[in-house]
Amino acid sequence: MTNKEKLQNLIQDVFLLTPEEFRFDLKRIEIETWDSFGVVSLSVGVQQTFGYHFKPEEATAIQGVDDIIKLLTSKGITFE
Amino acid sequence: MIELPPTKLLAEAVEYFRGAQVITWCTKHVADRLRALVPWEVQTEMPSLDGADWLLAVGGGTLIDKAKVLRAQHSHVKLAALPTLWGSGAEASPIAVLNQDGKKVIRMGPELLPDLIVSQSEFAKTLPDQQIKQACGDAWSHALEGFLSPLGTDETRTDLAAVMKRMLQQTIGYTDAWFELSALACAGQAKSSVGLVHGIAHTLEGVLGWGHARLCALYLLPVMSFNQTRSPKWPFLAEHGLDETNLLKVLRQLFDLTEYAEALPALKSNWMKVLRDPCSRTNSALVRPADIEFFEAFLA
Repeated sequence: MTNKEKLQNLIQDVFLLTPEEFRFDLKRIEIETWDSFGVVSLSVGVQQTFGYHFKPEEATAIQGVDDIIKLLTSKGITFE
Repeated sequence: MIELPPTKLLAEAVEYFRGAQVITWCTKHVADRLRALVPWEVQTEMPSLDGADWLLAVGGGTLIDKAKVLRAQHSHVKLAALPTLWGSGAEASPIAVLNQDGKKVIRMGPELLPDLIVSQSEFAKTLPDQQIKQACGDAWSHALEGFLSPLGTDETRTDLAAVMKRMLQQTIGYTDAWFELSALACAGQAKSSVGLVHGIAHTLEGVLGWGHARLCALYLLPVMSFNQTRSPKWPFLAEHGLDETNLLKVLRQLFDLTEYAEALPALKSNWMKVLRDPCSRTNSALVRPADIEFFEAFLA
């Protein structure tokens, strides 16, 4: 499974989205379950899936799926 | 450092309250015994706090949590909490879990923290062994989920590890020490969060009609087995000197396979509700829709 596929599965599972609801340009404000609990759950899921632990300020600054990709790419995780 | 409200034995509290207007609200099963111990009127329905200096709440977590919210509406009234059994730790936390229209609502704030804990451990001595065992499970669920919480810090983990080391020295049965340990576990987890054990308990309480402590005791072993292989925080247990073999041995004492099998259909049909519960979403390991398969397989 590619990192892109892993990230899609993770986002769907964390925010309880169907594959049809998922997009790589999804924004936080579009997802009802991306609340403060969702931020915690996302951080745990990213650590389990990609081995990177978001700093609290990073986790709260993320405003969409593209921000997650940018942040993880900057840590050496590729999404090609 | 976990701080608890000051604690007094009931006999000491009676002296301490002398001259004050005390309104006592208690659960029915201890009302007669309580009336023999205190010189003021005891009520079993939600009281009016008009003219009161103190509200003394005597009961389990549900009654104490309701009393916290009642007192919060009367800022001049002080709250004393006397737990009739350990487990909920409601007497020691600034959190109230309320049942509103079949849904669990969690409130948090300093105005909810009792001013005084009152102790009268004899009330628990006559309770059935099964209820005592479940109360131990409730206390363990606070300590373990608070320790493993993704919102925990090194300080909360150090504090809760110290509490768990003392809990490991207790039998799963009546000992006076459980009251203090349960209060410390609850006050400690209030600084981090609980997790999937509580998410399941909050969801299934209304479905099965089983008590919170019963469900916490039942699901501790399956959920910790789930966390053991997934949670990035699990290795902290060993780092804080807690032997996971000993921990899991205790959780096995709290587990009941027959009850687990009985509850499994309800867990399966309510799994998506469990995932939406705020407590599940602060679990130590991510809980996914497909993870119900783990809990089905656990039965085997």
